[in-house]
Amino acid sequence: MEYKGCSPGESKHIAQACEKVLTELECDFVGLALQNTDGSDVRWHYSAGNINEKYKRITVRYGKGIAGKVISTGRPMYVENFPENIAGKALEYPIMLAESLKNAYAVPIHFKGIPKGVLLIGNRSDQPINKNEQITAGNAARTLEQKLNN
Amino acid sequence: METQPAKNISSYIIQSQEDEIKRIALELHEGVGQTLYSLYTGMQFIQTAVDQPEMKGYIGDMAQMIEKTIQEIRLLAVELHPPALGTLGLLPALKSYLKLYTSTYGILVELQNEGMEVQISERESITLFRVCQEALANIARYADTMNAVISLHWKPGQLSISIKDKGKGFDVDAAMKKSSGLAAMIERMFLISGKCVISSKIGEGTSIDITLPVY
Repeated sequence: MEYKGCSPGESKHIAQACEKVLTELECDFVGLALQNTDGSDVRWHYSAGNINEKYKRITVRYGKGIAGKVISTGRPMYVENFPENIAGKALEYPIMLAESLKNAYAVPIHFKGIPKGVLLIGNRSDQPINKNEQITAGNAARTLEQKLNN
Repeated sequence: METQPAKNISSYIIQSQEDEIKRIALELHEGVGQTLYSLYTGMQFIQTAVDQPEMKGYIGDMAQMIEKTIQEIRLLAVELHPPALGTLGLLPALKSYLKLYTSTYGILVELQNEGMEVQISERESITLFRVCQEALANIARYADTMNAVISLHWKPGQLSISIKDKGKGFDVDAAMKKSSGLAAMIERMFLISGKCVISSKIGEGTSIDITLPVY
């Protein structure tokens, strides 16, 4: 994988980018997960609007959890009205539980064409994430992709 | 002769389920896992024998994918039935599970152990392990807390385990009517002649206290 971590300055930029998405979309939570450079586990590195620090300790395996699934499939994922009507068990969605999210939309972030990260936006209220917000999240993911690839 | 069909049936269902989980875990680890390992070493051998760089790279990628799958299978087998339960006992199995739990849900769990660990049967340790697992899963799902504490207290003739959190808490009576998970914890303990007491206060947290007679 190409992502080698960020300098404190770059880290600040990425954290600011997450904050910007949070403000622009008026959502409750924005998180950025990246696949580890050693091994295939996926960890949440940045967040905005978080209600606790649990996300910092959460690591999911490739293919597990929202982040692991989005990276393994390379496709966006929408979780609506959690934990009702979800595929699998609620316990398989650690970030939704940790941040008490009800609706979330996650998009892959690519490094040299390979999905290696995830940008997730989420709401704690019943408000679903509409098509426009999903497009904005996709655009934000492309911007972050450029920042992380540089 | 007087029989207790309800208890016998519950016990039979729970035991059969555990046996099946153990069988699948063993089959994955010893069967599928070993076959994949043979494939992996075979791939590595072919990789050294091939001269074409492109083909070498392709085979290398395939070997890497098999290696990842072996790792996945191993983790899946351990998640289904922790091998430490049968070999090392309840405490090491719990320690190992708590590591996985914290890295999955971000909740820190302090494990306290008092007294001398006494050997208990595999059936008893798997029951205690499953009850602790259920209690921790409930904390991850409902408690909205960053921390929890598990205390094991080995006394002469009795093992007491308490799982406490200072999370949201809930109405125990109402939850007992809705949740089969809570009832299953009590039922599981009853089947090994133990006890499970669930107490909770809204806004203050929850305490699950389990006891088991040990000899």
